[in-house]
Amino acid sequence: MIRFDCLTLLAPRITDQLVVTSLSGQKIEWASLSQHPGNLLVGTMGTALGVGIGLAIGLPERKVIVLESDGSVLLSLFNLATLANLGPKNLVVLVFDNQVYSGTRISEPTATAGKTDLTMMARGAGIEQAITVRDLAAFEREMEAGLNGAELKFIVCKIEESVGHREITRTDLDPLENKYQFVRYLERTEGRPIFRGRG
Amino acid sequence: MLPTYRRPGSVILPLLRDDPAFTLVPVASESEAITIGAGAALAGKQVAIYIECTGLYVSCYTLVSIARRYGVPLLLIVGYLGGMADQRNNNVYAVSGAYIEPLLQALQIQFQVLQTGDRLEANIQDAVRQMHALKLPVALLFSGDFTR
Repeated sequence: MIRFDCLTLLAPRITDQLVVTSLSGQKIEWASLSQHPGNLLVGTMGTALGVGIGLAIGLPERKVIVLESDGSVLLSLFNLATLANLGPKNLVVLVFDNQVYSGTRISEPTATAGKTDLTMMARGAGIEQAITVRDLAAFEREMEAGLNGAELKFIVCKIEESVGHREITRTDLDPLENKYQFVRYLERTEGRPIFRGRG
Repeated sequence: MLPTYRRPGSVILPLLRDDPAFTLVPVASESEAITIGAGAALAGKQVAIYIECTGLYVSCYTLVSIARRYGVPLLLIVGYLGGMADQRNNNVYAVSGAYIEPLLQALQIQFQVLQTGDRLEANIQDAVRQMHALKLPVALLFSGDFTR
């Protein structure tokens, strides 16, 4: 199983859900598959899950999907404890665990290539429903359950390392442009202002 | 006028917890206070983040990579422990406190140091107005009387 195939299954399911991506392959591949205005292409390590938790708390009626990676989650492990205790029922976390820091281009192994199991860590933090999927059929089943269900989902997707994203033209969407696109989309669909003018 | 106390958070947090206008979100790290706060702000919430000064060091990465890079309004309520006007905590925090103002300047985060409760409400209103105008974090540093 590779990440691009998982994301290819996810993309057509997106209607009004919000999608927050971490960096590198997650961001590049998702941006190539989806130009939905509800995408927030965070693109920095160790930050997407926190932003997704905040969005899920702020918009409890809206489904929020976070596309994370093993290296990124390992950088901000405190997120797991906070996520467990807050337990937003509208959040689906997909952690694409390729067991390497692919962005280094020399594929240094992460801790999950060794003894570390992110699903067990998430359960230990209190996310009892955390699960691991290892093939596309299981991914599709759990992803669908996350999209259609009303409980926190934390799915660690064990994937092979793939470097296809290096051949994809990267989005030129500026972070500020992405923010305003995202916020204006929310304002339209939520029917209320997000930002409070110029003070 | 707020009662005096040793650390600003010891009074501020119970007040927030008891006020139904606020949703208190406990976090495990100041770093994720910024990312979670940013997500909530992008969902339309007005976000205030209470941290002690050492937490500013912990949150530098997310302040830069999320709050400043995306331009997100966040009110940082900082217990300015170890600053020159701190009345009780210098023994432990003086070194940490010494770098807070230059750190905020380096991060290009506007701030105001409050040593008394005079004009407290107006100072908070000013900071909130400024954070929305800038769409960036701004900080209020609580020192002096707030650390008695």
